[in-house]
Amino acid sequence: MEKTDQEQVAPEQQLTGAKKILSKLKQLVRPTGNVHEQRLRRKMKLTSLITRRLTLIKTAMFVIGYLWMVLLPVPQLGRGTFVDENALQPGQVNTQWNWGDVHAADLYLGQLEQMRDVNYTSERRAEWFKEQFSKLGISASTQNYHFQTSAANMTGTNAYAVISSPRNPGAEAMVISASWLSIIDEGAGTVNIRGVSMILALAGFLKRYSYWGKDIVLVISDGYLDGMQAWLSAYHTPSQSGLTADRLEIPSGVIWTALNIDYPGHSFSHLGVFFEGLNGRLPNQDLFNSLNRIARYTAGVPVVLYDHLDPREDSAADVSFSRVPSFLYNIQFVKSYLYQARNVLRHFGYQYNGRGSGVHGLFHQFRIDAITLFAVPATGPHGFHALGRTIESTLRTMNNLLERLHASFFFYILKEPTWFLQIGLYLPSAILISAAMMFHGLSIWVDAGWMKDDRSKSNEKSLSKETPAPEPEWKRRQRPVLDVLSIMAATHVVGLILFGIISSRLFISNYKNLGQPLFSILTTAPVMIIMPLASQQMFRKDVARRATILKAFNLCFASTVISIITVLNFSLAALLAILLGVPLVMSSSSLQTELPIRMIKYTAYAFIGLGWLLFAQTQMAQAIWDWQILSVWFAPFVCIVYAPLVLQAGISCLI
Amino acid sequence: MSSPSKTSLSDVSARYPTALLVLIAARLWLSVTDVPKHLQHNQQLSSPLTSYFQLQEGIHLFKNDIDPYSGGSFRHSPLLLSFFATVLPDSRLVASVLWTLGDVVAAWALVQIWRTRQNVVQSSRDTLVAASYLLNPYIFLPTLALSTSSIENALMLLAMMFACKKKASAALFTLSFLLHLSLSSIVMLLPILLLLINDPHSHLASPQPMTKPLRKLWPLFGEFSMYTVVLALISTLVAGSLAWIPQTWGATLTLPDLTPTTGMWWYFFTEMFDHYRPMFLMVFSVHLIIYVVPVCLKFQHDYLYANFILLGILGTFKAYTTLSDPGLFLTMSVIFPETYSYMRHPIVTVLLHLHASLLMPLFHSIWVTQGTGNANFYYASTLVFACANGFALDDAIWSGLRIAIGPSVEGSHVVQE
Repeated sequence: MEKTDQEQVAPEQQLTGAKKILSKLKQLVRPTGNVHEQRLRRKMKLTSLITRRLTLIKTAMFVIGYLWMVLLPVPQLGRGTFVDENALQPGQVNTQWNWGDVHAADLYLGQLEQMRDVNYTSERRAEWFKEQFSKLGISASTQNYHFQTSAANMTGTNAYAVISSPRNPGAEAMVISASWLSIIDEGAGTVNIRGVSMILALAGFLKRYSYWGKDIVLVISDGYLDGMQAWLSAYHTPSQSGLTADRLEIPSGVIWTALNIDYPGHSFSHLGVFFEGLNGRLPNQDLFNSLNRIARYTAGVPVVLYDHLDPREDSAADVSFSRVPSFLYNIQFVKSYLYQARNVLRHFGYQYNGRGSGVHGLFHQFRIDAITLFAVPATGPHGFHALGRTIESTLRTMNNLLERLHASFFFYILKEPTWFLQIGLYLPSAILISAAMMFHGLSIWVDAGWMKDDRSKSNEKSLSKETPAPEPEWKRRQRPVLDVLSIMAATHVVGLILFGIISSRLFISNYKNLGQPLFSILTTAPVMIIMPLASQQMFRKDVARRATILKAFNLCFASTVISIITVLNFSLAALLAILLGVPLVMSSSSLQTELPIRMIKYTAYAFIGLGWLLFAQTQMAQAIWDWQILSVWFAPFVCIVYAPLVLQAGISCLI
Repeated sequence: MSSPSKTSLSDVSARYPTALLVLIAARLWLSVTDVPKHLQHNQQLSSPLTSYFQLQEGIHLFKNDIDPYSGGSFRHSPLLLSFFATVLPDSRLVASVLWTLGDVVAAWALVQIWRTRQNVVQSSRDTLVAASYLLNPYIFLPTLALSTSSIENALMLLAMMFACKKKASAALFTLSFLLHLSLSSIVMLLPILLLLINDPHSHLASPQPMTKPLRKLWPLFGEFSMYTVVLALISTLVAGSLAWIPQTWGATLTLPDLTPTTGMWWYFFTEMFDHYRPMFLMVFSVHLIIYVVPVCLKFQHDYLYANFILLGILGTFKAYTTLSDPGLFLTMSVIFPETYSYMRHPIVTVLLHLHASLLMPLFHSIWVTQGTGNANFYYASTLVFACANGFALDDAIWSGLRIAIGPSVEGSHVVQE
């Protein structure tokens, strides 16, 4: 009996279960009762769910964001490179560069070495280059330039030549260039002697062939960056402030792509590629990928990033570069991670300050995709022969282009010559941190709008004494928006003034002595101005404190800046996320804290925001030079946006 | 949101002109520096219909006896053409002064509207009202770029001011002049006519159905039509033929120039197949009109607010927008402080605007200057901008209606059916 009972019950239960689900579904599709009430309740449930877990959500976003940054060099992350643009057809031609051309390059090299040893002036050198070009029957010219700004005073002479396209009217051009000073130690003084002789030998070689569909412009620029900047500036725009340069006498077409050759040593083992441009711009990845394939398969030269040899392939590079114990280092994963981390960090170092990694970077400001080929100095086995074949084939590939490079990627982090991170794999790290900051700022803003209402509580107490602990009632209160916005605007104006000061001639000429006083003035001035104001401020419960609102706005604005910079210059955004993320969240606005502690906090912020005046003086002078000569906006950005943001956090600790 | 100030009235009356003068001087100084040169071709600041560069081209053609409307580039009204070609010398400095003057007139008109609405001679808020026009970057950047949209803004505010002050002829003439400069401002006709027969004071908190008979509108409408026809005749006289109509008014309706703007139209019609074009052109144009009657009905107790809402709709959805169109809407919110405490998400709107105003120039340069992005980048940023404008509009409508119910009571909620 019992059994049957159970059997009878079971289907009934099933039926009711099904009915329940059905009725629930019905409720969802066609709700009964007060629809608005249900919607409101649902909304409030969701809101309270989020607000209750807000701290958890914020923390999780911070942790995931920072962790993501650390995990960027994980070898499995990313994908292999590929050539996207069909027209390029890399490595599909037979190269004509032969030992005769190598001999020509060697002859030029001999003469150049003599010139270097007797210390020719720039002008005489350029005149000689022009002569050599002319002897080959190529129209050539020189260009004198002079930079005169508060940070720089440089003079030099460039030489350039144009091989007119035999097939086209010369509406487009490609550039092959070498700077007199090599990329080694960023133009410290090593002469790019084989690079220059390569250009001269290439001039004679390239002129022999009739398949060029674009003009070939050969440029031997003086100095390291200054010469090419003057040449490019004269080529594209009539004037740059602080620069007086000759007009270019030989016109050519629109430049789409450029190769910069850097070959300072005797011979080389690998071709290193430098690609970061000014202001964080990267060249189209197709250019790099084509070169990579051509070098490997046409000339048989391995390609590396920068001058980092792959420890998994070259035993010479297979040494633990940091203090990693050898048993750990020998794990394949760790080795790959460290190698890729080295590449990523080098990339960040070149990108964050907007300076780029070499002469090729200057081309980027005029929308020209350019890279530097760096012959990594070694005792062998490669020389002019392999380099010539690589360049010839790459030029043939560039010659195939029917439109600007546009397919492939412009936003990437190269982790290995054949392995890279797409934008979707690295962007979220900084965005998550910036979103967490935004959430934090918004939650502070919302909280600041409410206060506990004591008065009603006391009224209640007088009326009914039996309720022991009435729930605190919440009342809306005002938030001083305009005051806080004026404080923020004032800090940015201070930043503007700071930028004016540090880019002035007086400051630049002895920045080592003036950095410290400027730092002390800038950090004490806000204290002097704000402390009296803050003490005047009456403590009113029905108005939110300025410090709280300042912190909220500061976080929101910092978050906006970070998320917007990510697209422009990811390295800078990542750096900002690290420097601003947690520190700005930590700024406190509580009145309970003792004044000395608040002062210490403020000083800490002053060091984060303006510490570069004391500890990074050479970098500061460099950044000013970059701004004045190359229009790199890193220096104004730091002065006008970054430092004020940190100062605001400091001020919110004070008031 | 600022704390109430306790300054005396004489103090206020001294502060307002000083602040105004300082702002004007700063503006003039900026306009004679190098800044305008860099802004002149900026596509966020001037559209093909409002660009100073194209105006100059038209004047040049006109002075050389070539019909400027026979080409495809000049789309300014013949009224502007005759004005600039005869009365004013063709100099940059004069233009800067004139555009600054336009802004000053607009700011003055806004202050007048504010005073009329409050029914006071002067108030402590005057400075803030003027400054919110003169310091709004969405408004002063187009002025620095000498975009004629600044002049359109000034005319719009003047028309509203005259309507508030019940000066029917002046309001209608200004509006019909404005109509000649920008066809989309036809949207503002009905609310301004209604504002003329109603008072401009704030009735948001106590809505009443409109009692004034609608037939009063007909003579006003007749007067407006007369002005429009007369101005059209003058235009035809100046242009020498009717060719100006398809080039100026027609451009607003048929979108021949797909230069990127801050609005929603250009990208949509870049991607559009040609055989759908007329249909969607109609949809987009009609879409602008359909808001007029509902907004006027909903805010029949306060037509100045209806004007405000419709300005927001124009700034978001009209063809060939520049930054100054949404800028006017945002600035105008300063004269409705009573609604502030009923806004639902002002900070979200502000942050969206902050993002959009940084992203638009950035993505534009990534696309056009750097070449690493493409049109989709800029389009995405204009979508963010549209969202920001939509949020502002939504909040304006909500708070304008919500205020009638009064402050919220603990434990109860207001929902919209």
